Amino acid sequence: MSIPQPASVAIVAAGIISPLGRGVDATTRSLRDGADCVTPVTAFDVSSARCHTAGQIPDAWMEELRDTRKSRRFHRASLMMIAATREMRGQDPGFAPEQFIIGATGGGMTFGEAFFRSLASGAADRRRAKWIANYNPQKPVLDAQEDAGFRVPSSIIANACASGSNAIGHAFELIRRGRRQAILCGGYDAISEMVFRGFDSLQASTPEKIRPFDAARTGLVLGEGAALFALENLERARERGAKILGRVTGYGISTDTHHITQPHPSGIGPRLAMERALASAGCGAGDIDYINAHGTATSFNDATEGLAIAELFGNRTPVSSTKSMMGHALGGAGAIEAVISLIAIREGMLPPNINFTKCDPAWELNIVANLCQTAFPRRVLSNSFGFGGTNASLVIEAAEGAN
Amino acid sequence: MDVFITGTGWITPLGAGLDEVWEAILGGAPAPTRELAGPVGTKAHRAATAPPKLVDDVAQNGRLRRSSNISLFAAGAAGAALKNDEDNPSRMRTCAVITSICDGGVIYSRRFYDQVVKKETASPLLFPETVYNAPASHIAALLGMDGITYTLVGDASAGLAAVELGVELLEAGEVDRCLIVGAEEADWILGEAYRQWRLPALMADGAAAIVLSREGKIRLEGVSGGVPFFRQREAGASLRAALGELPRGAKPCRVISCANGTFVDEAERGAVEAVYGRLPTVYPKKSLGDAYGASALMQIVCAVQSIRREPTGPVLVPVIGLNHQAAAALISAG
Repeated sequence: MSIPQPASVAIVAAGIISPLGRGVDATTRSLRDGADCVTPVTAFDVSSARCHTAGQIPDAWMEELRDTRKSRRFHRASLMMIAATREMRGQDPGFAPEQFIIGATGGGMTFGEAFFRSLASGAADRRRAKWIANYNPQKPVLDAQEDAGFRVPSSIIANACASGSNAIGHAFELIRRGRRQAILCGGYDAISEMVFRGFDSLQASTPEKIRPFDAARTGLVLGEGAALFALENLERARERGAKILGRVTGYGISTDTHHITQPHPSGIGPRLAMERALASAGCGAGDIDYINAHGTATSFNDATEGLAIAELFGNRTPVSSTKSMMGHALGGAGAIEAVISLIAIREGMLPPNINFTKCDPAWELNIVANLCQTAFPRRVLSNSFGFGGTNASLVIEAAEGAN
Repeated sequence: MDVFITGTGWITPLGAGLDEVWEAILGGAPAPTRELAGPVGTKAHRAATAPPKLVDDVAQNGRLRRSSNISLFAAGAAGAALKNDEDNPSRMRTCAVITSICDGGVIYSRRFYDQVVKKETASPLLFPETVYNAPASHIAALLGMDGITYTLVGDASAGLAAVELGVELLEAGEVDRCLIVGAEEADWILGEAYRQWRLPALMADGAAAIVLSREGKIRLEGVSGGVPFFRQREAGASLRAALGELPRGAKPCRVISCANGTFVDEAERGAVEAVYGRLPTVYPKKSLGDAYGASALMQIVCAVQSIRREPTGPVLVPVIGLNHQAAAALISAG
């Protein structure tokens, strides 16, 4: 019996919306500029919170997306998914996904909050049914499908902050093994008061600038956004003449059983995920040209991730956390950072880790400090780690040389 | 590759015993309900809730002592499924944990946000338990698993999407076994949400778990993890499509229905009849209520019980969620 060779997995289109920009081109400009897209929170009262800022998508962008009668009722999360899906569709109208695999943690959480406040106030409110109907995490995925004219199965992975990477990684595995030929995958999340207050209650968020891997880091700020990859069997994509933007070549997943919000101090969880991703890609640590780190700037995350990166990669490989520019988009973060990793490969750059002053002396890392660097990474590792000890790493490679 | 269901467990409003609850369902036992009261001046909601005493032992565990009901139910069902797993645990090298959730840790979410609204100090102990993957995280920690853990969210169909994901992982050789757990907890605010949504199912809570392996006596003939529908009137067509993805060879001799008193009932009846004709049908939600994210796994456990007790032929598990997908599974004596 012959064992089928694993298929190569091509990225044939990408879509993204985040505080860094609406679309891949705008995002690329922000990355080049090292733009600080974290702004004061206006959507809800943060006066009594420790943190007052977040990476927020401007309301004006959202309103422009309310271009159908139905979309007037949609949650911001749906509009983000629609924006990313439309961009993907524009890049490759011939892409026909058999499945959506999307990471998310909150769905239309602010509608749930509005529902709660409405009940607590005791006043009748006719919007309650709309809030409930648009609250679930699957709704933005269905809205994006309907907007784009797709009707295919969808899986929503809620592995906390690793969700977006898990979604891309699982899609990659399904295509590589030949179970699927084409999958639209990625993640989304929209800022909500409850989650904002949650991180505040844990004292994980900062009143200052977000400074990943900095000796003076004081915590994270939240962000939001959606990002998608159109993944396809490379051979099939070539046959139909699709443009190959890059490839996903490795995926590693691990679970850190130490604590529900804190990683094991040894860094074993992140390390296992990275090692498994490298093994999956058939490469070694020395083959990685750039690491887009999870880098939340919390004491715990950066201590363990920094340690694990230093142990595995030493201080040669450039590392940055692009959360420094836009905050932590939770379920969307892994997907956003995967698209940023692809941009780094295609545009010949290393996105910066802004607000950086001095590396934590606990480890020595080659941080891409403050300014975007010109470089030509061919193979990038993207990390995402989350509550509950979920860890995921992806290896993304250049299109050239695909077998 | 053949995939088998080698372990089952559940925590339900009727109890935790596999035979005891199955007999009660077959006997048409009504769901035991209680009233969940909301704030003063609001309508209370009836729910079929799982008795907390069923998870007393789990709640003693240090990791779970501050957990919400959903994690306790999930851990209780998972432990039961592993305990009665017929597969030889010594051969278990790797096991994935996959949970399916619809509404998640809604009790702690409500309590936490209530503190926010009242401008009280929001509890850092509550917030981590509100995340969808809290049950999966706790189960993995209790079992010492450092490998694959996924939480799938959606409507009731997420349960079969989780089963399909488990099959994919087994087929890929990534794991030797998969522990699939569906869990849900009932709360007043959830009842109010479904009332506003005009979906009059009897809200319930609890959990159900199964173990998938490569060898065993109860065979998972096929699973269709989900066919979407954008409107309720499309649900029947989606279920027909899901049934069409199941193996054609074996006609089911019994159906474990997902009927819950909503549009689902007619959509399911029409789709199953269109594909297979009229079949003897068991209605577990009459006795267990609708535990949303856990309900499909409860149907699967019912199907396994049906085969263990009366091994006559394949059993069909159709699932129509309330606002996402329809799905189906076919199970038989191996």
